[in-house]
Amino acid sequence: MTGGGRARRCGAALIASLLTLTLCGCVASRQQPGQAGAAVESALELASSAVETTTLTVTLLDDDRLTSAVADTAIADQIGELADASAALTTLVPPDDDSASARADGLDAVAQATAAVVAARAFVARDAGAELSDAGEVPADASAAVDLLDTASEAIDALLGQG
Amino acid sequence: MKKLLGLALGILTAIGGFVDIGDLVTNAVVGSRFGLSLVWVVAVGVVGICLFAEMSGRVAAVSGRATFEIIRERLGPRAAGANLAASFAINLLTLTAEIGGIALALHLASSIEPRLWIPVAALAVWLVLWRVKFSIMENVVGLLGLLLIGFAVALFLLGPDWGELAAQVARPSLPEGEHAASYWFYAVALFGAAMTPYEVFFFSSGAVEERWTRKDLSQNRLNVLTGFPLGGLLSVAIAGCAAVVLMPRGIEVSSLSQIVLPVAQAGGTLLMAVVIVGIVAATFGAALETALSSGYTLAQYFGWSWGKFRRTVRAARFHLSMIVALLLGVGILMTSVDPIAVTEMSVVFSAVALPLTYVPILVVANDPEYMGDHVNGRVANGLGSVYLVIVLLAAVAAIPLMIATGAGS
Repeated sequence: MTGGGRARRCGAALIASLLTLTLCGCVASRQQPGQAGAAVESALELASSAVETTTLTVTLLDDDRLTSAVADTAIADQIGELADASAALTTLVPPDDDSASARADGLDAVAQATAAVVAARAFVARDAGAELSDAGEVPADASAAVDLLDTASEAIDALLGQG
Repeated sequence: MKKLLGLALGILTAIGGFVDIGDLVTNAVVGSRFGLSLVWVVAVGVVGICLFAEMSGRVAAVSGRATFEIIRERLGPRAAGANLAASFAINLLTLTAEIGGIALALHLASSIEPRLWIPVAALAVWLVLWRVKFSIMENVVGLLGLLLIGFAVALFLLGPDWGELAAQVARPSLPEGEHAASYWFYAVALFGAAMTPYEVFFFSSGAVEERWTRKDLSQNRLNVLTGFPLGGLLSVAIAGCAAVVLMPRGIEVSSLSQIVLPVAQAGGTLLMAVVIVGIVAATFGAALETALSSGYTLAQYFGWSWGKFRRTVRAARFHLSMIVALLLGVGILMTSVDPIAVTEMSVVFSAVALPLTYVPILVVANDPEYMGDHVNGRVANGLGSVYLVIVLLAAVAAIPLMIATGAGS
């Protein structure tokens, strides 16, 4: 067989394989119940770490042990972590009712954590002198911000305890 | 007196220059997840880097030539080419991580988007490489990097239970909820971070830049054997701060901003500012070293004229390769890739490339044709052989562990 003939055959085989894959491919994102549970737990641990980091940041800022710039950066980083946790849960395809329920609860807890962390960032901005509208529900002081974070943390811990 | 000052300066710059973004991130991640139970890896890594940095410095001082020049001559273009490909790729990844580290540290201090800092950081690195004398560059960033000693001060100010910390060091065990595979993945990453290949290329080429001779062998030994272990203690202090403040709260380090929180808790804004300046200096210094190492390895392999001791126009290709490496690093970072993820990748792939870097150094350091009566002694060869086994194990295990653990997650 000539080199050109071999290349044509290889090309035809490749195209045939791609067509088969495209037309007969299955959904690979569905997980086993154990895998889904572990994924929910992993996302909740990520969210828990973000909330604890934010709590520590707000406390240190309130004690004048941290600059506003560092506090803002630290909390912004944690909002990114919470977005990752949320993405991990929203892209999960639960295989059974238990996993679906765990994912729904996890999404609620991560949403609550995100709201608390976003509010803490608004508090940091106001503390640094930014003029913010009250419509954003900015916590009045550090303890109010920490209370919101504690509530979010308890919700996550409760779910992690169930797992 | 002048000689004593020179010795002290050499040791201080070795301490300040030891820690880079890979050490910072990996030690903090490990401290927050495993406490001090992986300190033994830092110790193993520090002994290894001391051993091979001393060898490469000795090769340069005795032969008057940098390691890479001799590797090509001694092992031939093919073996040296494989070494070059691996070293250059890891160097580029590390350089990218260091530029990202500078940008993240400046972001931390200013709250300004890191992507705006990336070109500024790269431009500053290039300007220093272009204009500043080698010795001034090395001493200034090394001494400013010493500000990372703030982590050790913070650890003392935190007043931890020293008995508990000592127990974690002496009896390493897996914390609850952690998997053994993750433990070993981070062990390999820490080892890779401590023994990053660019350090030996920079060390041996730096010896040529500073025109070391046989008379400088004792200074070489003193710098390495005192400076690097003390630098290793800084790494342990970073892990210690994370272990004392972050681990009990269940905080897993995923960003540079979390690394300074224990320092702020211990010493307030002043100590935190000192440490942030130290982080900028350490990452800036490492960016200079990795950019230089990129130029050194290419120029030494292809036989181009190289070195900062030459006028720029006399080493044009050497300077051009550093500019290209910097531009590639900036290009990678501007794709919005997470610099911390790049750092984690760089230390793991450093571990993979370790044998290609360290085997040739051991071969050259044993060649009487280059080394005369300064070939390795029995202790250096014995330890070198043990380290080759460790390095091979780390290299083989790195990728499977990374896949099995999802990069330690």
